[in-house]
Amino acid sequence: MKLADFQSLFQQSMLAGAGEADKPLLKKLRSSPRGATPETLLGVYQSGYRLRLADFVAQDHPGLRAVLGAETFETLIDDYIDQRPSRDPNARFFTTGLPDFMKDCPTWRDDARAVSMALFERAMVDAFDAADKTPLAVQALAEFSSNDWQRLAFDFDPSLALLELAAGTIAAYDAAISEEPPEKIDASAAGDGIEYAAVWRVDHESAYRQLEPDEYVALCEARAGHAFGDICQMTAFQQSGEIAPERLAQCLSSWFQEGLIIGLRVRGDDQSSNTPSSA
Amino acid sequence: MEKPAPLGYGLGLRPVYYDEILASRPPIDWFEIISENYMLAGGRPLAMLDRIRADYPIVMHGVSMSLASTDPLNMDYLRQLKALAERVEPAWISDHVAWTGVHGVTLHDLLPIPYTRESLAHIVERIQRVQDFLKRRLVVENASTYVSFVDSEMSEHEFVREMAERADCLLLLDVNNVFVSSFNHGFDPVAFIDGVPAERVVQFHMAGHTDNETHRVDTHDQPVCDEVWALYEHARRRCGDVSAMIERDDNYPPFSELLDELQHMRDIDARIANERALSAA
Repeated sequence: MKLADFQSLFQQSMLAGAGEADKPLLKKLRSSPRGATPETLLGVYQSGYRLRLADFVAQDHPGLRAVLGAETFETLIDDYIDQRPSRDPNARFFTTGLPDFMKDCPTWRDDARAVSMALFERAMVDAFDAADKTPLAVQALAEFSSNDWQRLAFDFDPSLALLELAAGTIAAYDAAISEEPPEKIDASAAGDGIEYAAVWRVDHESAYRQLEPDEYVALCEARAGHAFGDICQMTAFQQSGEIAPERLAQCLSSWFQEGLIIGLRVRGDDQSSNTPSSA
Repeated sequence: MEKPAPLGYGLGLRPVYYDEILASRPPIDWFEIISENYMLAGGRPLAMLDRIRADYPIVMHGVSMSLASTDPLNMDYLRQLKALAERVEPAWISDHVAWTGVHGVTLHDLLPIPYTRESLAHIVERIQRVQDFLKRRLVVENASTYVSFVDSEMSEHEFVREMAERADCLLLLDVNNVFVSSFNHGFDPVAFIDGVPAERVVQFHMAGHTDNETHRVDTHDQPVCDEVWALYEHARRRCGDVSAMIERDDNYPPFSELLDELQHMRDIDARIANERALSAA
């Protein structure tokens, strides 16, 4: 048998797990001098494959496990391993596709709280090893004159993810990672609304904070490159005029304190200026 | 045979020990990293590695090069590996006599191959291409295996010897893997060690495994057992001054227990050195 054919056969056996499909491969195995059956020895690879992948998912998704319960979580993992074999040499990225798989799969897509938790936990993992950037201190604003403020735009840390989640996701996650996590979280008590969150990295660890709706809108707009003055108007419009510039300034202050902002620039008419008009 | 200078006694660098290593700067000569764990955009793993690299030599050990796979070489992977090597400046880069998947799938395991002339020609050609790309000699490790194949045309150590000589690569002799595979397949582990070209061996791996009575599995979750220590002594006598290290990947003990295992390694080597000095006197 050619090496390519052998590898196809072996891989097929690993992906399918122990069963009838193993027969052609089992014929190719030498007998064990210790009395182990060929099925047992092949099973070391078959079971190891599934255990390893399941472990990657479990490590990244304690909240999802708590929301679904252990048994349903195992069913989800089995489905995911069966339907989305890993294609990245780095095992770290196997779990990245889980939320999208859940959204695509008829079995899982209607469980909004589970999908929401999977999205939140993926953001936590992605933030952990996002690219390194140095945050700016709030004093960086002093380089810009008050005339520039209306046109001031911001660059955000690459670890930042802004999420629209099912209500109760963050509280469920907090419970799942507590010192004594419950066996299963009663997510049905959380209601049907939505909540907003920012996930990013601080001092090498993933961090998260629930956002008020107005701050979520402001952060989304700011990250899209809109200037401070534009955001004041846009958010004020969306919130029926209840957001005053002071509220946005308060948000801005916390974004600096939390290490979210890595760059400041003044938008010109061509939107390309990146230097203060008076530095 | 030009080889990198021996580094002494090392440990596999694992996140669970970062803080202790940085706080105590333990008397370890070098660390080996799992390359894939640092092939990331940024974050804590790379930050910790940079700090530890400032004080210790580093060796990069990969698990995903898939040297024996019949899929094309993954050039994205190799480019990332090369970029990491430029950052880390490792003493050498290693991977395994194994494949990890075909048809674009990655099974995240070090899978066995039949030891045939076709397999040999295939892996030799790929090692040469990787060496050309990385612009350095690759160090290739014997993997633990649980099945062997009726199609094999040579023993594992014959395969490894021929591979190393034809590809002109260096070798990482995993002593525990030799023991595990010899138990599972019924070959003589001493004959394996005697059969590999000692002049190409630059590193020893030592680790624990799980005894399932009819077969043993390379789990790296236990201390090194007595049989593997005995085999280590034989390998040391045959290969001489080679960098050696302990791998631990699960059931992590207090860091001091790993230091004790390194000390045991040093004690064995000191005893061999004393014997040689006495016999030369």
